[in-house]
Amino acid sequence: MRKVIFYVLALVVILGMIGCTVQTPVPTTAPASTQPTSAPAIQPTAAPAATQPPAPATTGAIDGKGMKVGLSMDSLESAFWIANEKAIKAQAVKDNVQLIEVIAEGDANKQNQQIENLIAQGVKAIIISPKDGSAIEAAVQKAKDAKIPVLMDNRPVQGNIMPDLQVLSDNTAMANQALQWFVDKAKKEGKTYKALLLIGALSDQNAIERKAGHMAVLDANKAVINVVAQVPSEWKQDVALAGIQNAFQANPDINLIITPSDFLLPPITSALQQIDKWKKIGEAGHIALVTFDGDENGMSALKNGYSEVDAAQSADGTGFILVDWAVKLANGEKPAKVNLLDPGKIATLDNKDTVWATIWGWAGAK
Amino acid sequence: MELSASQKQLSNSVKSFIFDNPILILIIILFVGACLFVPYFLTPVNLQNFVLQGIDILIVAIGVTFVVLNGGIDFSSTAILSLGSVVGAYVMAKSPLASTPWGIPVGILSMVVVGGLVGSLNGISVVVFKMPSFISTLASMMVANGLAVYMASVVSETAAVNGLPTEFFAIAGVGGKLLIPVLISTASLLFTYWLLRYTVFGRRVFATGTNPRTSNISGIPVKRTIFMLMLISGLFAGLEAVYATARNQSGLPSLGDKVFIDIIAAIIIGGTSIFGGTGGVKQTFYGVVFITLLNNVVNLLGVDWTIIGLLKGILVLVAAFIDIFSKRLELMRRW
Repeated sequence: MRKVIFYVLALVVILGMIGCTVQTPVPTTAPASTQPTSAPAIQPTAAPAATQPPAPATTGAIDGKGMKVGLSMDSLESAFWIANEKAIKAQAVKDNVQLIEVIAEGDANKQNQQIENLIAQGVKAIIISPKDGSAIEAAVQKAKDAKIPVLMDNRPVQGNIMPDLQVLSDNTAMANQALQWFVDKAKKEGKTYKALLLIGALSDQNAIERKAGHMAVLDANKAVINVVAQVPSEWKQDVALAGIQNAFQANPDINLIITPSDFLLPPITSALQQIDKWKKIGEAGHIALVTFDGDENGMSALKNGYSEVDAAQSADGTGFILVDWAVKLANGEKPAKVNLLDPGKIATLDNKDTVWATIWGWAGAK
Repeated sequence: MELSASQKQLSNSVKSFIFDNPILILIIILFVGACLFVPYFLTPVNLQNFVLQGIDILIVAIGVTFVVLNGGIDFSSTAILSLGSVVGAYVMAKSPLASTPWGIPVGILSMVVVGGLVGSLNGISVVVFKMPSFISTLASMMVANGLAVYMASVVSETAAVNGLPTEFFAIAGVGGKLLIPVLISTASLLFTYWLLRYTVFGRRVFATGTNPRTSNISGIPVKRTIFMLMLISGLFAGLEAVYATARNQSGLPSLGDKVFIDIIAAIIIGGTSIFGGTGGVKQTFYGVVFITLLNNVVNLLGVDWTIIGLLKGILVLVAAFIDIFSKRLELMRRW
């Protein structure tokens, strides 16, 4: 009998919690006149080397007529994804779209389950930021079987099943341009560096592309930069911290850190502070930083004189475009190309007045 | 009006069934509530999702139940999912057998063998080296996870192993073949139910779980029984790896990273005692149904994702509390 009583209590807890937290499907309609009339477009890169066509600008005049769009996020651990999710939600309000969001907490299997549930709910399009570009193929196939358009957010599908649209950053080119700018500066100043290269997760195509972009410059400039340590971070800050500390133990003369994401700046800062090497440019013992993302941490490091260059993605612009295209695809429109590439911007010490203020992380850094 | 003897007997059996399986009340209420109030719950697509998502944890949870019945735990079960997935996917997609008719059967077998090997190592650690199961399986979990990530990074630049034969996906019900995963999971459930309830081995499992010392004195081969429990847990984790790899259509070194909480929640909420000796696969089945139902319903309702984990945690805590409370009451009664 006691067991039964306890289980009844458990039921009360469940129903109570569900009752308290359930998201009432309020149509996200807002009068068009009260909303901004245009969403920022993904901007052309500051450095002219990008070879991909710039992504189209959003019109801001799309009416989703309350259609349901699924949003499947991997996790909300980094500033990039938080800003991206915020932009998607804002654009959903603007486009009169009812957004149904699920978050996989970094679990590829769970993400596939959640997408199955979105399909069952009859969404008209699904925006996915996949945990794993390979594992997501199964879910993309299921959505396509159900005739639901799929849009990939910042991470591509790695396989044969292509989604309807992928809005991606041109990672290789951006990583390449940022590091090339640093190498050119080093050559001008006649300096050489011993570098620690941080790497993201191998399951993330973005991390692979950024590494490729960095390696292309490093291989061509071995006389300027000698990579003495490579640290795989698995996109985990604690793993990165331990790796950086070990690398500095083995190579105390490292004077450059190249990171594939501003997400890894907190462990970099912590590791350098512990060995008294968190110094500004010009101070004795300064460790040069080449970073990627353009988030608040990255732009703060640049503004405060701790880093030299940051390759910035468009976290918000990507989000705006995805919602617009989700509506368009659901209405039968087709994009000219499956891949829309964000060429990004390279924020350097040289372009403070022209570029910094246009980067999404600048507002927080300022 | 007085009840006849047969009516009384029926009434007592119903009462006893409900008191023995209180989780069923919860499942029935949740199910009826979902049918009435949750949009899209009763659609064919969602019911199919519900079945497939239940099988995502059922097979591995069945195996872990054997270890829990002995008062132990098997952390390595999720790492077997990951390692088995990568090894099997390698055999099917990248090995010399890849494009031959042997690719799929050998790939499937290799996943189960991986489970068997890790389970055997766990068994040896517990039985021969007298290690607590939570230490030995924690160690094997770390080794298997490390191997999975390493192997995937060697085999494939992208960490996940792709290019699996499409025929293999039928195991996950792809192409309208829902019956295949249903049959595999039902067979696993019925076999283990029979094993625990109707065989000498089953009685030894419960006896060892209740009191290993007394069992040893009574002539039960306790060491062999515990070894078998660890082996069975590994083998069923290997079998789950087959299904989960087909579900995700790739070999994933992160396949089991986040699933452990659901496995343990299903076992404990279902009614298997964390102290061992009571419970079984039937209870685990109920637990799996409940956890899957809960996951499905909260997803369909759009419950805030941060709350879901909290909810499961509270439920496990409540179930564990019931278990501990019942044990104490029983002890007090004996005194």
